[in-house]
Amino acid sequence: MEKLVEDIIKESTTRSQEIRKQGLAGVEQSIREAQDYATREADQIAGGTRTETSAVRNRLTSREKQNVRLAYLAEKNRIVDEVLDDVKARLRDFTQDESSYRSFLVKTIARGLEATPSENVKVCLSKRDAQRFKDTKLLEEALTLAQVKKKIRFSDEPITTVGGAALVSEDGKICTDCTFEAKLTQLQPQLLAEISRILFA
Amino acid sequence: MKRIVQAEKDSERALLEAQQEIAQIRKDLPNRIAEMRDKILKNAANQRERELVEAERAGSAEAERIATDGRKHLEELSNIPEARRKQAVEKAIHLILS
Repeated sequence: MEKLVEDIIKESTTRSQEIRKQGLAGVEQSIREAQDYATREADQIAGGTRTETSAVRNRLTSREKQNVRLAYLAEKNRIVDEVLDDVKARLRDFTQDESSYRSFLVKTIARGLEATPSENVKVCLSKRDAQRFKDTKLLEEALTLAQVKKKIRFSDEPITTVGGAALVSEDGKICTDCTFEAKLTQLQPQLLAEISRILFA
Repeated sequence: MKRIVQAEKDSERALLEAQQEIAQIRKDLPNRIAEMRDKILKNAANQRERELVEAERAGSAEAERIATDGRKHLEELSNIPEARRKQAVEKAIHLILS
């Protein structure tokens, strides 16, 4: 009798434990699955965060880099412009030195004659140069230097220039611009490269 | 005989208690899972916030360093020796007059 009671209690205890064990195992399995799922979601957030933080840093630094680059370029341009202004001032000074400038003008007109495919050529000077050189043998010297047989004369119309000359065919169709302004424009890429090389190398 | 009947009753009660206990745990399970999920996601969100704040701070510091370097380079530009400027002017004049 005693043994039977003990067996009933023992069996009941074993079954209760079994019920608890199975039930808890199922619950724990559900929790593990939910935890894994939530962890994956958290990992996705972390992955997105890495992209976001990288974007935040890049936004801040690249904006500043661009500002610095623009300021640096603006300063370089300002300095180059200052040098070009000095160059223009020096060219104006050069035109005051009549002997050197006259020699330069002869060579310039000679080159212009070679480059202008016309038998009759008008030489256009600034009003001041025209007044200074009209009654001299400037054109004859240029013709001699160029060693070409052409008819040249001073144009009656002065041009606006700091210095140099423009050579125009008699019919006005061809113009060889040898003024300082034209040279500055023509040589601009080379001038900017050389000035930058000397200043910023 | 009486003791056997009592043991049977106790046995049934124990089984019922175990079943009820598990049923209660199962009933609480969705809330428990939701709480746990919230906790994990909240941690991730907090971590995200902290990392973003840190990225802002680090980015601002880096930007400040870039700005400081930039100002230093600008100062160097404005300290170009006069001799080099003159050399640049001479070179330009030479190119134009040659």
